[in-house]
Parts: sequence; structure tokens; C-alpha cells
Amino acid sequence: MKRRVRHSITPAKRRTTLTLPADSLVQAERIARARKVNLSTVIAEALSEGLRLHAVAERSDQVLKGYQKAFAGFSEEEMMILDGIVVEPAAGR
Amino acid sequence: MVDPASGPFLFDTSAESWLARAQDGSVQDWLRAYLTHHQVHVSAVTVVERVRGYALLWRRAPQDRRQLIEAARIAYLRELGRVWPLEASVAVVAGEIMALLPHPPTPPRRTHQLFESRQERLVRWRFDSLIAATALVAQMPLIHNNPEDFESIRSAIECSPERFPALGPLELIRCASLA
Repeated sequence: MKRRVRHSITPAKRRTTLTLPADSLVQAERIARARKVNLSTVIAEALSEGLRLHAVAERSDQVLKGYQKAFAGFSEEEMMILDGIVVEPAAGR
Repeated sequence: MVDPASGPFLFDTSAESWLARAQDGSVQDWLRAYLTHHQVHVSAVTVVERVRGYALLWRRAPQDRRQLIEAARIAYLRELGRVWPLEASVAVVAGEIMALLPHPPTPPRRTHQLFESRQERLVRWRFDSLIAATALVAQMPLIHNNPEDFESIRSAIECSPERFPALGPLELIRCASLA
């Protein structure tokens, strides 16, 4: 029987140099000290959360634009039909 | 004002388009905020009504307008959120609602030159019953722009709680009160 070997997947990391607002940096250093982790960990988590929120906002805008496109360019009577109210010219009128 | 984070909500067919077409900035902001927390939840019935609407418009349209209608239909289907199916429990609850309220509470709609047939009005009324039943089963507030129909359903359910055990009340939110 084969033994399944589990490997922890750690995202690749790259060293870089950033210029950050001093007050944010002070706050991040305080959090790092309190949690006993290094500054890179705190910055990476904050960046990751910020990027997640950015992606959510982008997706929200995309859905909104899609909806707007789905209902743009129609008259009020056409909108009634799109809303399930099927109206037609009356026969014989 | 309804907190967008307090969803998810089920969107009636009329509500979905009302929100998407709203010119009021506060309504657009509300929808944008809602979408950062939740998907737009709709009943499969809304998809039926909507796709039938696009198909009818496409069939009636001259050739040069068909492309716009098809692009709109694709845009709608591409951004479709969570679609609640018509499964057994929805069918049971909808059957109870239809028996309680066999006739639509308002007459067929009409505009200057166009008329909704009685048959179409009845179909739409039955569709509303299915959408209300979906909201009850999903235990989600229903956002709507159709107070005549949904308030009738809500009142009828409140008057016959024994037919809707462990369900209800039907929680309704009007589009105009969202933002």
C-alpha cells in the first residue's frame, strides 16, 4: 500500500524593498511584537487582506456593470416583458 | 435603510431589474455594497421569466436590434448569482399558497396600447407564488417591487399559519426602502 505523503504548500516568496507610510509601519511593528512574529508576516497578512478586499470590490463592480448592460437600452414596455409581464397589442382594437 | 451586509436576500424578478436600472446614486451604492458581501439570490422562476422575456423581445425585434437583445441576455446570464431550484419543499409551499389565493389580487396590466391577457396574468401570479415559496423555504427576506401581489401572499400566510408549519412569516422588503 502506498503511503500518501503530505507536503505543506508554502507560497513562493520574493525579497523586495518598499516605502511605507511611517505610521502604518509603526502600527505593524507593534502588532508584530505583540504576536511575536516578524514584521514581514504582519505586512504580508495585511497586504493579502487588502488584495482580497480589492478583488471583492472589483468583482462587485463587474457584476453591477453586467446587470446594467443586461437591462440597458430597453423601453418601459420592453422592460415589462423582461420582468415577466407579457403585454401585447389587443386583438381587434 | 436596509444593511446590505444583513443579507443574503432573495430578489424578485421586478426587483433585480429595478435595482440594476436605478439612477439614484444611493441605490447603486447599496447594490454595490450588497455585492461585496453576498451574491444576488433568485428563484429559478425569475430565470424563466427573464429568459422568456429576452426570447420574446428577440423574436419580435427587427434584425438590427436582435444583436443588442442577445448581448443583454448573455450579460444577464453571465452575472447570474445563486439560483434557487424548484424542489419538493418549494413545490409543497407554493401549492398551499396557490390554493389559498387562486386568483390574482389585481387585474391584468395595461399600458397605452398594450394589454396583458388574463391567462398571462394568472401565469404571473402563479410565478409570484413560487417565488414567495422559495423565499419562505430559503428563509430569506424577499426584495420586491410588486407590493400588490406579495403583500397579499404575506397576509394570507399570516392568516393560515397551520398550513405553513415552521415557516414564515414571509419577510418582504420593498426596493424603495433599501437605500
